[in-house]
Amino acid sequence: MNTSHQRWLLEQLPQWERDGLLTADAARTLRERNAIDESQPGLSQIVMGSLGALLIGSGLIAVIGYNWDDFSRPVRLLFAFLPLLVTQIISFRVLQRGDAAAAWVRETAALLQALATGACIALVSQIYNLGGEWPDFLFWWLLLSLPLTWVLRSHAVAIFYLIGIAIWSVDQVGYGRPWHDSSLLYPLLLLGLVPYWPGWPAKAPLSISVRWIMTISAIFGLCSAAVFVSTYHEDYYTYRHETFLWLWTLTAAALVLFPLNHVGIDESTGRKPQVVLGSLWLLGYGLAATFRDVSDDILKGASHALKLPWCWGLLAVLLVFVLLASTRKRWAVLAIASIALLPLISFPFVEGNSGYYSTMLSWLVTLHLSLIGLTLIVLDFLGKRGAPRLGALLLSVLIIARMADSHFSLLAKGLAFIVVGVAFLTFNFFMSRRHRQPALPSA
Amino acid sequence: MKTLPLIIFAIAAVGQWAAPLSQIWTHEQTLTQGTLIKLKCSAPDPYDPLRGRYLAVRPEQREVSVPSEMKLASGAPVYATLTTGTDGLATISSLSLTPPATGDYIHLKTGYTYQSKASIQWPFERFYINEKLAPEADKWFAENIRSDKGIIAEVRVLKGRAVLADLSLDGKSFREILKERVK
Repeated sequence: MNTSHQRWLLEQLPQWERDGLLTADAARTLRERNAIDESQPGLSQIVMGSLGALLIGSGLIAVIGYNWDDFSRPVRLLFAFLPLLVTQIISFRVLQRGDAAAAWVRETAALLQALATGACIALVSQIYNLGGEWPDFLFWWLLLSLPLTWVLRSHAVAIFYLIGIAIWSVDQVGYGRPWHDSSLLYPLLLLGLVPYWPGWPAKAPLSISVRWIMTISAIFGLCSAAVFVSTYHEDYYTYRHETFLWLWTLTAAALVLFPLNHVGIDESTGRKPQVVLGSLWLLGYGLAATFRDVSDDILKGASHALKLPWCWGLLAVLLVFVLLASTRKRWAVLAIASIALLPLISFPFVEGNSGYYSTMLSWLVTLHLSLIGLTLIVLDFLGKRGAPRLGALLLSVLIIARMADSHFSLLAKGLAFIVVGVAFLTFNFFMSRRHRQPALPSA
Repeated sequence: MKTLPLIIFAIAAVGQWAAPLSQIWTHEQTLTQGTLIKLKCSAPDPYDPLRGRYLAVRPEQREVSVPSEMKLASGAPVYATLTTGTDGLATISSLSLTPPATGDYIHLKTGYTYQSKASIQWPFERFYINEKLAPEADKWFAENIRSDKGIIAEVRVLKGRAVLADLSLDGKSFREILKERVK
């Protein structure tokens, strides 16, 4: 239950008590279970605090950008350092107040200091006519701002950092870069947020907005690294797209299996963006792999990728995540994540043949997805947590895909599509009626 | 109040000062102690959203001959020895992988290489100007870039570092020229 739901519940409790719907004991238990951690800022607080800080910071940068030609260099340098000093003093005062400081004050102080840091570096490079590319500037700005997320626990600076490292990583994909100046640094940059989350000691779980931004940042950062390692050089640099596509799929599998505690597992899927986005990619990839030409490309990509240390690193991480997910009995995500590893199972059956041309992988993926679809339906009928509509959708799309690349006549394909469509709608109607039936009270 | 967050905050605050201060220190050293060299260049007028208006300074020399025994990858750092000609303008006369024992030199990166030549990336590329002066600077540039004298970048060089100190035309500072023009 998120904070807004908890607030709503706490507002209703007095009325429910007065109406006799709840006893005083039950209301007290509900209050204790749904107590709101006021030290965690709400979305509106973050937005208001961040907006104010952003306006001031942007104004500062614009004033600096004017380039005060009439002042001497020392005076202009004073302009650069004065805002930084002021914001550092404000942050220090906030830190001194500890938990007594309001969440929005903490957010504003941290964001202002981060912006003043950026403005200071920018002004110094303006005064000395320093060249340099904006990614270098962004990199140092992010590193100097990162500790503010740890000590002031600022969500706004964490979001700025996550977006910044993703943009930086995408930019560093360029050919021929040394590893220490490339997207390969992204995992280390992401690990920099560990002291903020889970923090020391571990405090409240991440807010949903930070989770989504963290997941999207990780996708861009890790996928950039995958593209970077997929470059090769013959007469000129180029990328092997089939290689990084499989590395992206391994990354998606790692995201889906990202270890969660019991509270995290029990949360709704919508609150787990890594599971949502990772599963979407894996299912889309799986459906594409059911086509023979695509599966051939995937096998080529996997074969090249297995020569890369980055790939072995990903597989090692996946192995650990698989073991942890198994101990937590996360069978559904394990089933979806296993799609990524199907090329490895296919290799013994296709190697030695001329090229990679084989129907092995496409049939294996078709079978695997069919089993997932059926399992999602059967689980619901057994009274367990399933997803019957998703299962039916998966089966329908699989049938349509197989029909699309078959040699049947257009008439036969058309009739098959109509049958599948009718079956899908009937199933949907049946499931709606089934879920509408009231459960009988147990004896 | 907990001590650990305070220590981390103090380290971060020092870092936020140290990064720009170290830049100031090295560039002040170069400006005050470095040798003045002059490079003929071109300078159009673009905009940086964070740092304002600037003239993009591009020295005319874009390529340097590479010794046959030197193998250079794209983006490789090299030391470029500067030689001043009879007209008072400097050019890069040679490249080496280690700092030359004598003379003025700049530490820079090479771009692509072909046959026996390598393109070079100069370590300075921007000359920031006041927003008010920028349109006049643009006009001044258009009027003078094709003149025989050309626009000259005055650069201070010390121990491989280069700082762009000023732009000039016919021995007169660019800022002075612009201030007279906008009066």
